[in-house]
Amino acid sequence: MPKVEGRGKERKKRAEEKLVALGAEIIEDIARVVPPRLKIPSRSTSNIVYDEANRYFVLGPHYGVRSAASIKQVKKFAQTMCVADFCKELITSKKFATLREMYYTAEGWESGPFGDQGESDAILEDLEAAFGLKREDLGLTPEEDGAAVYGQLVIKEDDVTIDATKAGRAGYTIPPTIDDVEFVKCKAKRVIAVETMGMYHRLVQEEAWKKFDALIVGLKGQAARATRRFLKRAHDELGLPVYLNCDGDPFGFHIAMVIISGSAKLAYINHELAVPDAKYIGVTASDIVEYELPTDKLRELDIARLKQLQKDPRYNTEFWQGEIKKMLELGKKAEQQAFAKYGLAYVVNKYLPAKLEQVEGQKFLGAG
Amino acid sequence: MKYAVNAMKTLADELFKDFREHSVSEFFRKNAAMLGYTGKIRSLTTVVHEGVTNSIDAAEEAGILPSISVMIKRVDENLEHLKVVIEDNASGIPEEFIPGVFGKMLAGTKLHRNMQSRGQQGIGIVGSVMFGQITSGRPATVVTSTGNGEIVHANVMIDVDKNEGKVLNGKKLKGDWQGTRLELELKDVAYVRSRYGPFNYLRMTAIANPHVQITFVEPDGTLTVFERATDKIPERPKPMAPHPWGIMSDDLLVLAKHTKSRTLAGFLVAELSRMTKGKVKEVQKLSGVDLNKRPSELTWEEAEGIVSAFKQIKFMAPPTAGLRPIGAAEIESGMRQILNPEFVHAVTRPPKAYRGGIPFIVEAGIAYGGGAGKTAEGEGIETEGLDLIRFANRAPLVFDQGGCAITSAARSIDWRRYGVDVATAPLTLFVNLVSAYVPYTSAGKQSIADEPEVHEEVRAAIMDVARELRRYLYRKIRVKERQQRASIFERYLPIIAKKAASLVGKKEPDIKPLLKKVAGVEDA
Repeated sequence: MPKVEGRGKERKKRAEEKLVALGAEIIEDIARVVPPRLKIPSRSTSNIVYDEANRYFVLGPHYGVRSAASIKQVKKFAQTMCVADFCKELITSKKFATLREMYYTAEGWESGPFGDQGESDAILEDLEAAFGLKREDLGLTPEEDGAAVYGQLVIKEDDVTIDATKAGRAGYTIPPTIDDVEFVKCKAKRVIAVETMGMYHRLVQEEAWKKFDALIVGLKGQAARATRRFLKRAHDELGLPVYLNCDGDPFGFHIAMVIISGSAKLAYINHELAVPDAKYIGVTASDIVEYELPTDKLRELDIARLKQLQKDPRYNTEFWQGEIKKMLELGKKAEQQAFAKYGLAYVVNKYLPAKLEQVEGQKFLGAG
Repeated sequence: MKYAVNAMKTLADELFKDFREHSVSEFFRKNAAMLGYTGKIRSLTTVVHEGVTNSIDAAEEAGILPSISVMIKRVDENLEHLKVVIEDNASGIPEEFIPGVFGKMLAGTKLHRNMQSRGQQGIGIVGSVMFGQITSGRPATVVTSTGNGEIVHANVMIDVDKNEGKVLNGKKLKGDWQGTRLELELKDVAYVRSRYGPFNYLRMTAIANPHVQITFVEPDGTLTVFERATDKIPERPKPMAPHPWGIMSDDLLVLAKHTKSRTLAGFLVAELSRMTKGKVKEVQKLSGVDLNKRPSELTWEEAEGIVSAFKQIKFMAPPTAGLRPIGAAEIESGMRQILNPEFVHAVTRPPKAYRGGIPFIVEAGIAYGGGAGKTAEGEGIETEGLDLIRFANRAPLVFDQGGCAITSAARSIDWRRYGVDVATAPLTLFVNLVSAYVPYTSAGKQSIADEPEVHEEVRAAIMDVARELRRYLYRKIRVKERQQRASIFERYLPIIAKKAASLVGKKEPDIKPLLKKVAGVEDA
């Protein structure tokens, strides 16, 4: 089992240490009359490589140097320092800000306002990459909440303790500041994440969480950072296997794959987000045939996307290559909810037990 | 003012005879266009040119720093009826010479010396008096004093039948003053502040003659003073016999009126340098003019034939001594004074020869910024971009710009190579051709023939100054860039220091040494 990552407080302490070290280094340079330099791993596509061993995208060995002696870089250097100082303030005052809030705050900074939010976001990403820390550790949060969780998990947010089976039908909502959340107690033995909230509510209604000893997570489509971080923590800290149940189409495949192997765009931080051991238990081309599922024809867009995935290193496994090829041959796709053809409870009573047996090698609910 | 020093009376009778055959007014009318009296604007500029040239020459000859004042004013409601007043501080004119100086055409003294000269020869100021008399019917008014306590006032009219100046209403006043003031009433002229008008003419004169102070009052009362930039009076050119290659039809005509030789053949040998009997025969053959006739019977057409024959004949080259360039330093001070530019550079090139031996010198000057490149193109309209000002022996060439070798040489330059956009750059380009024999394209003497050697030399001179301009412009860009660079570091480096200190929670480090090292800021 991978090593357990430190939680909110320790992570923030680490971020603060890195920020202080950065300041100290620069002060020393200035005292020695040496132009300060920042080494920032390159985030350009040419430096994003697929790490076969870890099974996610990482940044390559290239980095850029931001020098205070460069006329082209000194402004950005100053802006980076302003962002760093802003982060330090957030950490010390135990506050969070969104990227947009930081962008507006910069209006009053000595280094001047940013041209657009893209600029300030990029500088924050520089710091994330340089420190190997997530923005959340630096006090910055994404705009959107994470997904919903239902199951036998008790968490603590500051002084509030929440039982994810007693947080209403919608379940416990993963906050953007998921790293500050403490896992108090967990009786669940696995995580089943589903692509749509329709399927989530179906599993909750059918008490799948109880039947499978699972935490049911509703991804709401492409998983938010907070959701991915939650899955990563559940896997690493709670030692739970993570299963992903998505639609049987290229977009469903990829929702799962981003959770498993991370995205190229966030290669600099995938070690904090990717869950390489997560397993896909969603609808496959084989399922379409085997369960005789109601289907839709593949659109041109789907076909093009599938062909892209064929070449993507993350899909370079026998399973994926086979399923993609089969789907292209069928020319058809199917949604998770297509199992309703056999009744609303079918997915819980038949389909999931079969899938879980495949990945865990043990029978569920006596089915098989 | 210029005045005939000698031979006036002995020549008078002879001239009188000459002009019975075709009267002075007839001669003038026939040749007015070639003498610069063509068009309302150009006629006015020619009058100003003749007066100012005479005044400068007279002052220089007397060793006096010229101070010239020119005033043009309206006489009545008629916009084309103007009075031109030109006053100098030269030695003044003795009373008895007044009719000769202002009233006798082809009586000038310049041709006898035939030196590198500013003006139209022979006709000069008398042509202006004549022009005034023909157009307005009014006499010229001359006020002059040699500084002897008497100031002479005289109205001068030309007796066109006798080719004689007549003084009307002459009177003397007591007064302590020296100089000459000429007032001419003109009709059929127009005052505009364009590149062809008197203002630009005087401005150009001031640039090429930095030892001259010119005060100018325009018809609307606008007063402009072109201050002198140097107290050095230029050395006078040495008189020498004209070389056949450098002579023009009107020069030849005027010389012929004054010679003591009895035949044209004898006249040519006596009055021109490098002319032998053998060469005379060639002239006879090529021109078809009967060279046994009396010089005084020479017609304009025959003179033209002889001049064109000269150009086809090989002569020994004229001597190179006696060329009098303005000098690079003087050109620079002239341009600086009048244009107030941020950069100026001038060169005087070593003498060269065209047509196998005629010596000439090209001078070029370039001014950038300030008032440079601003050309008056008409009433109140100023354009920007390269302004080419042409000179021959310091005299401004204002007209016929298109056909001039200086213009074509300037146009042949790829100005982008010198970092200049000629359409917008605040640039004045000065070119002066110095020679006793300026190869004018026509008797109007306003543009220079495209002799290959002249063209090449003008081009080389322009490139000399353009190179310096390029260096200046590049230096300027570098300085500007350095300043911009420094200001960027001055702005952002302290922020880096401050924020680093805040991260650590320490005192801000002293950024000045690093700022100095990185931005080269001395007093940061």
